[in-house]
Amino acid sequence: MRNLYIITCILVLISCEKEKASNNVVSTQSDVLRDLSLNVYLSTYENLSLRTNKFHQDVQSFINNPTQENLDLCRSGWKSAREAWENSEAWLFGPVSTNSIDPSIDTWPVDFIRLDSVLSSTAVFDNTYINNLEESLKGFHPIEYILFGFNGNKSANQITSRQKEYLLALSENLRQLTLDLHNSWALQGGNYVTEILNAGSSNLFPSKLSAYQEIANAMIGICDEVANGKIGDVFTTLDSMGEESPFAKNSMVDFKNNILGVEAVYLGNINGSDNKGMEDFVRMYNLSLDGKIKQKISQSKAALAQITLPFGRAIFEQPIQVQQAIDAINSLKTELEEGLLPLIQMHVK
Amino acid sequence: MSIRTKFILSIVLVSSLIITSCRKYNESYEDPDEEWFSGGSQTFFDGNTSGFDHAFTGLDARQMQNHEVGDKAFDAAFVTAPAPLNSGLGPLYNNVSCVSCHVNDGRGKPPVNGEPLSSMLIRVSIPGANSHGGPNGIPGFGGQLQQRSIAGKMPEADVQISYTNINGTMDDGTPYTLRQPSYTLNNAYTSLPPNYLMSARVAPPVFGLGLLEAISDYDIIKYADENDMNGDGISGKPNRVWDVLTASYRLGRFGWKAGQPSLLQQSAGAYNEDMGVTNFVFPVENSFSQIQHDGLNDETEISDSIMHAVAFYMQTLGVPARRNAKDPIVLEGKRIFNQIQCASCHIAKHVTATDMAFTSRSNQKIFPYTDLLLHDMGAGLADMRSEFQADGYEWRTPALWGIGLTQKINGHAYFLHDGRARNLTEAILWHGGEAEASKNKFKKLSADERNAVLKFLESL
Repeated sequence: MRNLYIITCILVLISCEKEKASNNVVSTQSDVLRDLSLNVYLSTYENLSLRTNKFHQDVQSFINNPTQENLDLCRSGWKSAREAWENSEAWLFGPVSTNSIDPSIDTWPVDFIRLDSVLSSTAVFDNTYINNLEESLKGFHPIEYILFGFNGNKSANQITSRQKEYLLALSENLRQLTLDLHNSWALQGGNYVTEILNAGSSNLFPSKLSAYQEIANAMIGICDEVANGKIGDVFTTLDSMGEESPFAKNSMVDFKNNILGVEAVYLGNINGSDNKGMEDFVRMYNLSLDGKIKQKISQSKAALAQITLPFGRAIFEQPIQVQQAIDAINSLKTELEEGLLPLIQMHVK
Repeated sequence: MSIRTKFILSIVLVSSLIITSCRKYNESYEDPDEEWFSGGSQTFFDGNTSGFDHAFTGLDARQMQNHEVGDKAFDAAFVTAPAPLNSGLGPLYNNVSCVSCHVNDGRGKPPVNGEPLSSMLIRVSIPGANSHGGPNGIPGFGGQLQQRSIAGKMPEADVQISYTNINGTMDDGTPYTLRQPSYTLNNAYTSLPPNYLMSARVAPPVFGLGLLEAISDYDIIKYADENDMNGDGISGKPNRVWDVLTASYRLGRFGWKAGQPSLLQQSAGAYNEDMGVTNFVFPVENSFSQIQHDGLNDETEISDSIMHAVAFYMQTLGVPARRNAKDPIVLEGKRIFNQIQCASCHIAKHVTATDMAFTSRSNQKIFPYTDLLLHDMGAGLADMRSEFQADGYEWRTPALWGIGLTQKINGHAYFLHDGRARNLTEAILWHGGEAEASKNKFKKLSADERNAVLKFLESL
C-alpha cells in the first residue's frame, strides 16, 4: 500500500512537470511573437519613419542652404533610411504588401525619360501630383539619382532648382508613406501588430502556426530575393543595369542589411536589444539546427563582406566572390526551408 | 482442408473482390480528406501572404526555371522606351507591371479614399460586334480605356466613379446597404461617341488558372443548358471566342465574361492593353489607328520566350488549401450553400483532363466552385456590353477557391467584377437573374444560417 502511494505521488509529480514544460513551451512561443512584433517589426518601422523624417529635414536644409556639406548630410540621411528599409524587407507581409507601400517607395528601374519630362514640366509638385505619379518616379531610387547622379559624384551646384523642388516633394512623400506604414502597424493606428501578438485568436492569424509560417516564409523570401534576384539576376545576365541602388553604390550595403534583417528576426535582436526571437523557439527543440542557422547567417554576411568592389563592378571583377555570396545565402535559405519550417510545422499549433 | 471448405472460401473471396471492385467504381464515394485539397495535388497549405504564389509540385528543373523566369517578369515594372531595362511601357497604359494589379497574385480593387485607379480598368465599346464577334472598340479608343500615358502622349480619359446606395432588408429584418457604381469619363483626349458602353473590371486572382485551363471542353460544356431544358431556372452558356494564334473559335474560359480562350492569350492581351507592351500574340500597339500612335513598326517589346514564361507562370500557380474544412459550422454552411442552389453554377468539383505532356496538372480532382459558363446575373450587375456570345447581362461564374484569403493576402474584401461589393454578403445580395431565387433563399435564412454560409465561403 505504501509503495502504491509512492508510485502515485511520483506519477502526479511527473505529470505536473510535463504540464509545466508544456506551459513553458506555449509561453515561449507567445513571447517570441510578442518580442518580434513589438521590438523588431514595429520598432524597425518606427525607426524607418524617424529616419525618413530626419532625411526630409536634411533635404529642407539643403534646399535652404545648398552647400556640399548639406548635400552630404542628405546622402547620409538617405543611406540611414535605406538601412532600416532593407532590414524590414525580411518581413514583407502585412500592410507593406497589401497597401502596396513596397512598390511605392522601392521600385526599380527609374523611368528616366519620364523623369526628364516631369522635371522639364511646369507641374506643381504637391502631394496629389506625387501620389498620382508612377511607382518608377518616386521613392528611394529617383531620390538616389538626384542626390548622387549617374556616377555617384554629383556636386551640390549640379542639382538644379527644379530637381530640388522634386527632391523635396519626393522626400515628403517618402516620409508620409513610411509614417503610414508605421501607423498601420502601431497599436494606436491600424494595429496590425496585434494581429501577430494575438495570433491564435486574431482575424488574420487564426493559429500561432500561421503566424510562425508567415514569419519564416518572409525570411526565406528575402534570402531568395537577395541570392537569386538582386544578386543572381544581375550576375547571370552580367547586366549592371539591373542593379538596384547603383547611383549611391549602395547595393552591397543593401544586401548586407537584408541579411541583418533576417538575423534580427532570428535573434530577436535589433539595435542592440536582446529579446526573444526565432532562435528561442528553435533552441527548445533542436540545438543543432540553431547552430546551423546561426552559422549560415554568419557565412552569408562573411561572403558578402568578401565582395569589396561596388556590385556593378564586382559581377565582372569578383565573380568568384559573387558566386560564393549567392551560394552562402541560398544555403541559409535551404536551412530555413528544410530545418526551420518543418520544426514550426511539428511544434506550433 | 476439404473441397467443400475450399469451395466456400473461394466464394467468399470472389464475393469480397466483387464488392470491393464495385465500391472502387462507386462515383458517390468521397475521400474524407478531399475537402482540404482545393487544387488536388497542387494544393498548398499556406494561408499567408505567399498563399497564392506557390509553383506546382512535380515540375522538372527546366519547367521550374521557366516558372521562375515568368515570376520575375510578372513583377517587372516597365518604363518608357528606350531604356536598358524593362523598356516599352505604353504609350498608353493602365499600369506598369502585372503585379501592380494582381498584388500577391490576388484580387484587385476599386480605388478608395481618393486613390488613383490602379488595379481596375474600364473596357469600352460601341454597340455591335467586330469582325470576329468580339466587342466593337470605339474609334480612337479601342476596346479598353487607358487612363495613363507616357510623357508627350495624352491619357485617353480620366475615370470618375460614384456610388448610389441601395437599402434593403433580409427577411428577418436585418438591414443592409448595397452601393451601385456609376462611371463617368472626363477629359477625353478626343471626343467620345454618344452611345459608348463601359464595363469596369477589377484584376482577378491568377492562381489555379492552369488547372482551370486543363479541364476538358467536354467537361465544361456538359453543364451547359442554354435553353434551360431541365427547367431548374439555371442556363449555363459556353462562350465561343476568337483564338488569335489559331485563327479559330474556341471555348472561352478566362476573364469576367470568359472572353479569352487560353492563359497565353489572356496574359498577352494584358501586356498589350494594360501595359502597352507589344508581344508576338498582339504585336500592334494598343494606340494603333489613333492619332497618338507613333507609326513605328518596331520589334515586339517583350521576347517570345518571356511571353511564354509568363503564361507558364500562371499555368503553374497552385491553390491554397481549405481552412477549417471540417468545422461543424463550415459543414453546415456548405450544406446550405448546396441547398439554396448556389452550387448549381458554383460547381464544386472538376477533374482535369489527362495530359501526359503536362503531368503536373493532369487528371487532378479540383474544387474551384465554378462551371466556367455564362449566366444571366440580372439587371443590377448588367454592363449592357456584349463580349462574343456573352450578352450585357451575362457573366462567367467566378471560381471561389481562395476567396476567404482575400482580406489576408490582398488587404481588402471587395468582390464582383467591379469590386462594388464590400464583403461576401453584399456579393451574394447582388446576385440576380438566374441567381435571383438563390439570393432570395439566402435572404430568408436566419442570421446563424447566413453566418454559416459565410464561414463556408471563408474556408474556401
